[in-house]
Amino acid sequence: MSRMKFYCDDYRCIDCNGCVVACKEAHEIPVGVNRRRVITINEGIEGKQKSLSVACMHCSDAPCQKVCPTDCFYIRTDGIVLHDKDKCIGCGYCLYACPFGAPQFGHEGIFGVKGVMDKCTFCAGGPDETLSENEFEHYGQNRIAEGKIPMCASMCSTKALIAGDASEVDKIYEYRTAKRGDNTSLKPYGWEAYNNGK
Amino acid sequence: MESKTFWECNKAYILTALGLGVVGFVFVGFLMIMDWGYLIQYTMHALIGDTSGVLTAPASELEQMINAAFGPAYNTVAPEIIRASNERQEYIWYVFFAEIMIFVFLYIKNGRVTPTITRPNDTVQVLTSFQRAVIWLNIGMISILVLTGFNITWGLRSEGGDIPRILREFHELTGLAWIAVWLVFTVIAAKDMKGWRKNSTFRHFLPGSFKPSKRVIWFFYAAMGAALCFSGAMIITLHPSSLTHADVIQFRRVLLYLHFGASVLIMFFILDFVYASAVSVKGYLKGLWSGSYPREYLEQVAPDVLDDLKKAGRQ
Repeated sequence: MSRMKFYCDDYRCIDCNGCVVACKEAHEIPVGVNRRRVITINEGIEGKQKSLSVACMHCSDAPCQKVCPTDCFYIRTDGIVLHDKDKCIGCGYCLYACPFGAPQFGHEGIFGVKGVMDKCTFCAGGPDETLSENEFEHYGQNRIAEGKIPMCASMCSTKALIAGDASEVDKIYEYRTAKRGDNTSLKPYGWEAYNNGK
Repeated sequence: MESKTFWECNKAYILTALGLGVVGFVFVGFLMIMDWGYLIQYTMHALIGDTSGVLTAPASELEQMINAAFGPAYNTVAPEIIRASNERQEYIWYVFFAEIMIFVFLYIKNGRVTPTITRPNDTVQVLTSFQRAVIWLNIGMISILVLTGFNITWGLRSEGGDIPRILREFHELTGLAWIAVWLVFTVIAAKDMKGWRKNSTFRHFLPGSFKPSKRVIWFFYAAMGAALCFSGAMIITLHPSSLTHADVIQFRRVLLYLHFGASVLIMFFILDFVYASAVSVKGYLKGLWSGSYPREYLEQVAPDVLDDLKKAGRQ
């Protein structure tokens, strides 16, 4: 069974923020809410500057789903983690539980209190009727239903950000690392490397 | 004058410390999955102004990237938040059940004190309008905070939606307003302070003196209220944008946990106060509303209040 995943190649990301703008534009996201962001470290240090585009990683064992008191999250069969804004009470627990800082909260009302949660939907809409006005208003475009890949990945000029079925993403990752000369079987990467303290 | 033993003088403190010690030992030792070593070190860092949660310089580029993008040390506090928020839904009933059992035991043992009133019209004004306003504002706001707080905790039962969301927003706004009321009540109920000042200067202090059991309630109200006000206000105002997320998320996690813990403890002691005022003594609430009590009531139940009022020349 396919599982949809993002992968951002920090060797290729150039901190252009094209993905951020594309996402905001496509889904008409209000000011103050960013479903995607680009983080840069060692900015300006030659050879050491690295950037990474981050959004919801659509975890298989999503902590946001575990912590939500109203059980508003659900995981589709293709692994995309979505939530029901009609159920969300904006408590923010998902933000505390998320390892990636994906949940976003805008301010609303006369007192500017926190609104309901918004996050990356992998451009797959939400629980409302597919491709309906309601769905767009609440969750943005449903590009997956139209057979397209998420807007951020489609707009990435260096193809640092790729999205799609995990097995296909994995093949691209392996191809790129092999081409760079990295032996992935000997050199752990990502969480594995972090957890091993390497 | 009858001399009291150390045990008799300090029974309330010893039993409270013992009870909390046993419950704390079970919680910390067997139920919680918090990384205490990290939390202690983090608190030290936070006290000197570094709330980022990065306790040691990153050892690799990857760790540096994780710290910058997601915030450091996810496995230290966040899993505890997930555990606590889930288990609060399931097990917080047991806290109340245990407390109600304590009240049942006390009721069976001590019964209800019913003062004999033969002259109901001979009353003494005990509470000023200001004191009553603060007390009833406090009661009202705490009731709202408890109900709207449980609305979040037990969201699974309401299944969310607009009304629970509005109640959650109301919890935040009421909480902000309660900070002032908590502060004023903490000051006027600090009866031990009266010895330091003349009654005329501090006429807004509640009359009477603390018995140890009541002093414990006041202490927990003041301490846990401070924790709730601080953590609540910070959680509301420290609203991270997508770019400041990594800098504040660990601080917010710790604050939320503080909020969880303080809310359970303050609830325990507030319920204690409710039992002491509404159940154990007849006529207490009526006086709390009107501000005056029959003189015989005070002579039998609260002679210290009568003494205080005499000293202050208020009756």
